[in-house]
Amino acid sequence: MTKWFKSGAPWIWMTGGAVSLSLVAVLGLLLLIGWRGLTFFWPHAIYEWQISSAEGERYTVIGEIHDREAVPLAQLRGSGLALEGVTSDTLTRYLVKTGNREFVQLDFRWLLETDIVSREQPANLAVFERSNHGNFYGYVERVLEGDSVVGGEVREQLKERIDRVGELNSQMKALQRGEIGTINFELEKLRLKQRRLELDGEATDEALADIRIEEQQLRADYQVLEKELFALREEARRDSVVVRDMRGQEVTISLGNVLDVAWPNDMGLVAKTLHWFKEIGKFVSGEPREANTEGGVFPAIFGTVFMVILMAIIVTPLGVVAAIYLHEYAGKNNLTKIIRIAVINLAGVPSIVYGVFGLGFFVYMVGGSLDQLFYPESLPTPTFGSPGVLWSALTLAILTLPVVIVSTEEGLSRIPSSVRQGSLALGATKAETLWRIVIPMASPAIMTGLILAIARAAGEVAPLMLVGVVKLAPNLPVDGNFPYLHVERKFMHLGFHIYDVGFQSPNVEAARPLVYATSFLLVTVIVGLNLTAIGIRNHLREKFRSLDQ
Amino acid sequence: MDNNNLKKHISGQFNIELEGVLNQVLVMGGLVEQQLTDAITAIHKQDLEMARQIVANDHKVNGLEVQIDEDCTRIIAKRQPAASDLRLVLAIIKTITDLERIGDVAKRIGMMLLDNADKKQPPLVSMENMGRRTVKMLHESLDAFARMDVEAAIEVHKEDARVDREYESIIRELMTFMMEDPRSIPHVLNVLWCARSLERVGDRVQHICEYIIYFVKGKDVRHTSDEDIHSMLDR
Amino acid sequence: MINVATTMNQDETLDISRLTREQTALEIRGLNLFYGSKQALFDVDMNIARGQVTAFIGPSGCGKSTLLRCINRMNDLVDNCRIEGEILLHEQNIYGKGVDVAALRRQVGMVFQRPNPFPKSIYENVVYGLRLQGINDRRRLDEAVERSLRGAALWDEVKDRLHENAFGLSGGQQQRLVIARAIAIEPEVLLLDEPTSALDPISTLVIEELINTLKEQFTVVIVTHNMQQAARVSDNTAFMYMGELIEYTDTNTLFTTPAKKKTEDYITGRYG
Repeated sequence: MTKWFKSGAPWIWMTGGAVSLSLVAVLGLLLLIGWRGLTFFWPHAIYEWQISSAEGERYTVIGEIHDREAVPLAQLRGSGLALEGVTSDTLTRYLVKTGNREFVQLDFRWLLETDIVSREQPANLAVFERSNHGNFYGYVERVLEGDSVVGGEVREQLKERIDRVGELNSQMKALQRGEIGTINFELEKLRLKQRRLELDGEATDEALADIRIEEQQLRADYQVLEKELFALREEARRDSVVVRDMRGQEVTISLGNVLDVAWPNDMGLVAKTLHWFKEIGKFVSGEPREANTEGGVFPAIFGTVFMVILMAIIVTPLGVVAAIYLHEYAGKNNLTKIIRIAVINLAGVPSIVYGVFGLGFFVYMVGGSLDQLFYPESLPTPTFGSPGVLWSALTLAILTLPVVIVSTEEGLSRIPSSVRQGSLALGATKAETLWRIVIPMASPAIMTGLILAIARAAGEVAPLMLVGVVKLAPNLPVDGNFPYLHVERKFMHLGFHIYDVGFQSPNVEAARPLVYATSFLLVTVIVGLNLTAIGIRNHLREKFRSLDQ
Repeated sequence: MDNNNLKKHISGQFNIELEGVLNQVLVMGGLVEQQLTDAITAIHKQDLEMARQIVANDHKVNGLEVQIDEDCTRIIAKRQPAASDLRLVLAIIKTITDLERIGDVAKRIGMMLLDNADKKQPPLVSMENMGRRTVKMLHESLDAFARMDVEAAIEVHKEDARVDREYESIIRELMTFMMEDPRSIPHVLNVLWCARSLERVGDRVQHICEYIIYFVKGKDVRHTSDEDIHSMLDR
Repeated sequence: MINVATTMNQDETLDISRLTREQTALEIRGLNLFYGSKQALFDVDMNIARGQVTAFIGPSGCGKSTLLRCINRMNDLVDNCRIEGEILLHEQNIYGKGVDVAALRRQVGMVFQRPNPFPKSIYENVVYGLRLQGINDRRRLDEAVERSLRGAALWDEVKDRLHENAFGLSGGQQQRLVIARAIAIEPEVLLLDEPTSALDPISTLVIEELINTLKEQFTVVIVTHNMQQAARVSDNTAFMYMGELIEYTDTNTLFTTPAKKKTEDYITGRYG
C-alpha cells in the first residue's frame, strides 16, 4: 500500500479524476440545456382525453403533455379530493397544454390520472401555429374562401393557402420595414431639420415652405403605400378555416392569423425530423411574438453578436496600445508596477459596477454632452443620451480591457529579444521595430486576450441591463437607412432574453422550454465566436512561430 | 619559459601526450649520442666489432624517428596546438630529422670502417678531437633541449665555429698527404668524408639549438650569425 | 571550398599599430563601460583596420561581446549602462551629441549569436532594412535580394523559394540569411557576435568561408569563443581578459608567438 502510494499512482488518479469531474460537469450542463431546449421543437403527440371529473362532469380535453409529476396521495386528499379506492401512495398528474387561449380560460391545465376515462391520438388532429393567441388544437372541418367552401383535399388546400398568406405576410413586412420605414425615417429627419433651423434662427418662410412641400410629398407617398398595405392585409384575410375544437364547437379562424399547420399524430419519423429542423430554423431566424414567449430570437442573436463585435473593435486597439505603453515605454519602476496591479485588479470588479459606471459616465455624461452638441434639435428626446448598443459595447470594452492588456503584455514579453535586436541592428527605430516585428509576432497573444474578452463579454448581462439592453427592440442596430449603423439604438441580447422569458413573461410555464433553447443558443453563439477567434489565432501562431518554439 | 609550463594545460591528457613525445626525443637523442660516441671510438681504435654494433643499432634510431613523427602528427590533429605548444611540436619534428641524420652519419662511419676492414690502414689524422667536440655539442644541445635553456643553446650554437676551424685544419693536413703520395688519395678521401660528416654534425647540432630558441623565444634565428642572434633576442 | 590562397596569404597583413587614416575603419579611444557600478571594460584603445577581419577572443565574461556591442551602440538598450571614451567612425565620435543611432546602425551592421530571422518570407527578411529606408521599388528590391543572398552564399539554395517563411531554413541557412539581411543595407562595418556558436561544424565552415569573401567589401569584426575560428578567419586578433585588452596584433603572430603570458596561457589552454 505504501509502495502504491509512493509510486505516484494516487496522484495520477487524483488529477485524472479532477479532469473527468470537470468534463462530466461541462458535458452534463450542455446535455441538459441541449436536450431540454432542442426537444421543445420536436412535434409532440396530441392527445384527446375523455375526462370524468370528481364532480361527475364529463368532457373532452385536447392537447399535448407538457409535464408530468407524481403527487403524494395525502397531499391530494388534503386539498379536498375524495379519491376512493386508490391504493398506491402517489398519483400521476399531467400538465396539458390545450392552446385555444381565446376560448378556454386555461391554456394549461392539470389532469389527474384517476379522472381520465380514455386517451386517444386521432390522426386528423391538427395544430395551428398562430401569430397571436398561441396554438390552436382541433379537427379541420372545411376551408373557406371568402364565404364559399373550397372543395378538394382539405389538407392540401389548407397548406397551399397558408403558404399564400405567408407570402403576403412577408410582402407586408418588406413594405413596412422597407419603404414605409424609409418614409418614416425621412419624415423624422425633416422634423429634425425644421427644428434645427428654428434653433439656429434660420427658419425663414422659404425654408419652412420647402420643408412643407417635401413633407407633403412624403405623406402622399405614404398614403399610397398604406393603401397597398391594407390591400395586402385584406388579401391575407380572404381565406379562413373552420375547426372543431375540444368543446365540440366549430370555430372559424382567419388564415391571415395562421403561420403554420401540422398533423403531428399523422407524421412519420422523417416528417417529424423535417418539421423539427423547420421549427429550429424559425426559432433562430424569426422574430419574437407574444411578449417574447413565442416565435424566434433572431434580433437577440443579432444584437448579441453585433454588440460583441463592436466591443472587440473598441477593446482591441485600446488594450493593445495600453499594453505596449506599459511594456515597452513605461519606466521599469514602482509606479508602473502599481498601474499594472491596478489593471489586473480591475478584472475583479463586479460587472454590475461597470454597468453603473457606464450609465453614469457614458450614457449621461458623454451621451448627454453629445446630444447637447450635435443633436440639439431632437431634445428633449435623447439620441445618444439614453442607453444604447454603443454604450453597452464601450462598457463591456472597459470591463474586458484588463484581460486584453494582460495577455498582450504576456505576448510582448515572450518575443525573443534577439529578434528585436535584429531589427534595431538594421537601423530600425523602436517604433518601427514595434510596428513591423513585435506587434505582428504578439498578435496570437492579442487574439488570446480577445478570445477571453469575447467569452466574458458575450456572457455578461447585468451591466447591459443598465446601458442598452431592452426586452423588445423595435429595430435592429443595422438597417437600410443612412448611416446604416445605428449605434445609439437599444438592442436585444440573448442573455437578457433568457432572463426576460424565463422570469418576466406572463406565462412562465409555457416559456420554460424557450429558456433552455435560448440558453443553448447563447452557448452556441459564444462557442462560435470563440472558435472563430481561436481559428484566427492558430493561423497567426503558425505564421509567427517564434524562434524558441 | 620553464619546462614546468608544459604541464599546466587544462587537459591532463594533452600534458601526458606532450611529455611523452618530449621524453621520446630525449631517448632518441641519447641513443644518437651513444652511436656517435661509439663511431668516433671505433674510428680511433679501428674497432670493427663496435662498427658492426653501430650499424646494427641504426634501425632503432630510425624507428624512434618514425614513432615521434606519428605522435606529433596525432597531437596536431587532435589538439590543434597553438603558440608555444605549436612551436614545441614543430621544433620536435625538425629536431628528430636532424637527430636521425646524425644517426645516419654514425652508421655511415661504421659501414666505412667495415668496408675498409681488410686494408688495415691507420687513420691519417686524429679526428678524435673534433669528434669529441661534436659529441659534446650534441650532448649539451640535448641538455639544453631538455631544460629549454636558451642561453645554453646559444653557447652550443657558438661552439660550432671551433668545429669548423678544426675541420679546416684537418683538410689542410689531408691535402699535404695527398700531395706527398697520390696513392693515398682513396684513403684520404675516405677520411675526408668522415671529417666532413662530423663537421655536418656540428651544423645539425646548431640547427637543434636554433629550434630550441624558436620554441622558447618564438624567434626564427636560422641563417643568422651569432652576433645577430643576440641582438634579435634582445629586441 | 576553402580558399587556401586567401586564408594563408600573409602579404596583405597590415601593421595595425601603424595604420594610416585610410586604412582605419574604427578608432576606439579610452573606452570604459560600466553596468551600474560594475566596470565591464577598462580603458580599451584600438584601431580596427578597414577591409580586414578583426577577431575578439577571450574567456566568457571578458567583455568582448560588450565591446562589440559598443560599436553599434547596442548597449544603449541595456539599462544603467554608462560609457566613457569614444569610438570614431569617419573621425566622428559615435557617442557624440546628436548622433542618429539608427543611421549609425545602418553603417555598422550586426549579426547575432543565434540566427534571428523575422517571421516573414526570405525575401521580406532581406529587404527589411531597405523598406525601413523607404525603398519600395520592386526592381531595386529584387536586385538587392539577389545581390545580398549571393553575397551571403545562399542564393543558389533559396532562389526558388524566396517567398517561403524563413523559419523553414536550417540553422546555418538562417544565419546566412541574417548576414544577407545585414549586408543588404550595405554597411561599412559588419559586427558578428559569435555567429557560429549555434551551428553545426559544416555550417560553421560555410560561414567562415563567407566571412573571407565579405571582407572584400566590408570591415568585419567578429567575436568568437572558438580560437581556431579566430585563427582561421581573422587578419587581426584582440585578446581580452577581465574587461581589458591584453594583446592586439595580427592573427599570425598572436597564434604562434603571443607576447603576453595571459594570451599564451589562454590560446594554449593553460591555467590562467
